[in-house]
Amino acid sequence: MSPVYWLVWGVVVAFALSAVSGLVWAIQHGQMERFAAGARSIFDAEEPVGTVTDGFPRREGRSGP
Amino acid sequence: MSTTSMVVEQSEAAQPELVARAEIDRSCRVPVLLFAGSAVFWLVAGSLMALVAAIKMHTPGFLTEWEFLTFGRVRPVHLNMTIFGWASMAGIATLLWLQARLARACLPFGNLLIAGGVVWNVALTAGLVEISIGHGTSVEWIEIPLFWALVFAAVFAVVMAASLTMFGRRKVAHVYVSQWYLFGAVLWFPFLYLTANLLIHGGFTAGTTAAATNWWFAHNVLGLWLTPIGLATIYYLIPKVIGAPIHSYHLSLLGFWSLALFYNWAGTHHLIGGPLPAWLVTVGIVGSVMMFVPVVTVGINHHMTMVGHFRRLKDSPTLRFVVFGGMSYTVVSVQGSLTSLRSINEVNHFTHYTIAHAHLGVYAFFSMVMFGALYYMLPRLTGREWGSARLIKLHFWAAALGIALYWGPLTIGGWVQGLQMNNPDLPFLQVVAGTIPYLWGRTAAGVLMTVGHCVFGLLLLQMLRGGGHAQNPARSQAATGGEVKA
Repeated sequence: MSPVYWLVWGVVVAFALSAVSGLVWAIQHGQMERFAAGARSIFDAEEPVGTVTDGFPRREGRSGP
Repeated sequence: MSTTSMVVEQSEAAQPELVARAEIDRSCRVPVLLFAGSAVFWLVAGSLMALVAAIKMHTPGFLTEWEFLTFGRVRPVHLNMTIFGWASMAGIATLLWLQARLARACLPFGNLLIAGGVVWNVALTAGLVEISIGHGTSVEWIEIPLFWALVFAAVFAVVMAASLTMFGRRKVAHVYVSQWYLFGAVLWFPFLYLTANLLIHGGFTAGTTAAATNWWFAHNVLGLWLTPIGLATIYYLIPKVIGAPIHSYHLSLLGFWSLALFYNWAGTHHLIGGPLPAWLVTVGIVGSVMMFVPVVTVGINHHMTMVGHFRRLKDSPTLRFVVFGGMSYTVVSVQGSLTSLRSINEVNHFTHYTIAHAHLGVYAFFSMVMFGALYYMLPRLTGREWGSARLIKLHFWAAALGIALYWGPLTIGGWVQGLQMNNPDLPFLQVVAGTIPYLWGRTAAGVLMTVGHCVFGLLLLQMLRGGGHAQNPARSQAATGGEVKA
């Protein structure tokens, strides 16, 4: 079999291993805990949960929310 | 000092997040606008080339006077304009802005990224000229010659460095699910791109090995580049726009990690029936079927997050495009997994069904999400609102109806074509003639989508020329360096 197959699949396996390494890092560094807080991490005091942050221009050329 | 400026100063004192966010947006402004503006230019240009190619499918004598407008050149020019011009540049713009927002860190290497954006445009233009004058490589999705591909790879390296630097400087300990997807895109795709180009154009592959490398790469343009950026955007924008966290964070992470493990194996399903080792193709089929796991998790999550908020689709341009894109992701992925099965593939292979499927992925999913992202990002970067709600709605409906008209009939037509091609009693020319009505439908759909893209380009031009009204203080501040113009 051509060595190219092995090279391609070597890179494929390397990608998979990089994913596994990332998963191990995530578990070791507490990224798989406190999911509720994680889901809310994109909100802050300026744009809290419950704030709608996009809208059509109200009239032609006017700003939305 | 204007009244507005005083109000902003007071709000700044009370809201440090506002100041920090404005600072982050300001650091992104020029590089992101350069990539986004270039993307829209290539979108319009790529659409026009698509129209020429589409017309040639049912009217072969159309524009045959010049060699550079023959189908064999127009079609790859369209593909490269839309993948490396529109999709990749819009993706990089969104990736940089999203990573900065999520890491709450300013975008580093601003000048280098601006230079990268210019170089990317030059390399793409040169690559397109090479294809147009007959110097293309004829390897699908890698038609641009190696030299220019290496230039793209260098710009990818800058984007990767900027993204990883922001990740390293992040001020939030938690890595949000979108960041994982962005992390995957910037880590995997540049290596994939470089490896595939070097293997195919460097003389290391030929025949079936080149085909295996080619389709491993081509499928992963969607799988490891466009899909992670698209899903990262959806996971950020849907919750941000409606003001509600995603339905299940557990599912979102399961979705990412299962995509990370399965997607990159899927590419060889394009070679079912080809002269490759059976195990090589079977691995691709298994990877494709395993993709049901991330697709179902993402589909459930997006839908359940939107439950109770669907009325917002009426009010938010971003949400309309992004939700359309999210739903299309589920459809295209389920279709893709099923299509990888040998029993189905023996019908749809080498037909227009595959073309419809590819456009469902790159357009109905990825491009619609990018439209939504640009509608959200650009007012925050320029400090100006979009000029016309009517034009935005026209863009949405032209794009949505256009891709629906493209995908539906071409899928049916392609399936019929496949069944007929498998019937040895039918002459091949009769099968070809049977596809012509569907190809006219494809052209009509292309006209609709092109109208939408021209409208989008017009809206962007209007915004960049300062035609829109000033946005709210948070957006204006980012654009004007802290001085809010009343």
